[in-house]
Amino acid sequence: MIVAKTVYSTFFEVLDIIVAVSIFIGLFQVWVKPQTIVKLLGKGSGIKGFILVCTFPILMGGSLFTVFPLLKALKEKGARTGAIASFITAWGGKAPLLPLETQFLGWPFALLRLSLVVLFAFVMGILMDWVVEKPVEANVNKR
Amino acid sequence: MNDMRAGQIYLIVALGLMAISYMKEKQRTREALKATFKILYTIMPVLIFVFVLMGLIQAYVSRETIASILGQKNGALGIIYAELIGSIALFLPPAVFPFGGYLHNNGASYGSIAGFVFTAILIGVTTLPLEFKLFGKRFTIARNIFTFVLAFFIALLMEEILR
Repeated sequence: MIVAKTVYSTFFEVLDIIVAVSIFIGLFQVWVKPQTIVKLLGKGSGIKGFILVCTFPILMGGSLFTVFPLLKALKEKGARTGAIASFITAWGGKAPLLPLETQFLGWPFALLRLSLVVLFAFVMGILMDWVVEKPVEANVNKR
Repeated sequence: MNDMRAGQIYLIVALGLMAISYMKEKQRTREALKATFKILYTIMPVLIFVFVLMGLIQAYVSRETIASILGQKNGALGIIYAELIGSIALFLPPAVFPFGGYLHNNGASYGSIAGFVFTAILIGVTTLPLEFKLFGKRFTIARNIFTFVLAFFIALLMEEILR
């Protein structure tokens, strides 16, 4: 059956990359603790913080579920809405999965996407701050 | 043949890093190994699911159909369709790329794939409830809408550049 054949061949085509990627992510998870990331990114405020928040998350692996707790910690630390949105968007770049991406979609696609992701995250941050922070700002002014 | 070698190179690099980590801190490396297995354990089922999906599509959906919906001729509309599919896709990120590559080989345009990849990873129908709870309704709705729209433009750009 064609289905079985596709599954079989794709699986082995992908096996060593998947193992490699899992190792990368596992190592990262254990060596770069969430607390470190939270400390590093701070509030994501200021130019430097913003740039960090738009680029660093690209290096992280995991799924949305694993990333949300980290984001919650960031928010509790006082991160701006835009910073959080930028973080999520940049994280969508998923650089650890590069081997997989280049294998199936080619280097040009992968590199182009990665570089655009930074721009994507940047714009997201600005937009989100503009749309979501406004009511909060009003409250702050009242204080 | 070259493809297989690339995978093996990555694996060698990964194992090398593992070895360095082991020499630095044994306990941490053991934890890393546990994390790695946990990740593999989580990824494998989804990956297999996606491969089966790919196999089914291969068997039952013609190249022409894929090309007509997601291909270059459909252009911008194809990107939107791809994004819609990505939004409801229940994949984990590692499964997104094989699937995307497969669609591309069967006629989908780069722009469509880009749209698919962005929404598959960044918009999760399954994670919406959690996002609501953690960040509020306004944030969630705003972020998802912006992501969809921005992804569209970026996908369009990528299509132009890569064509």
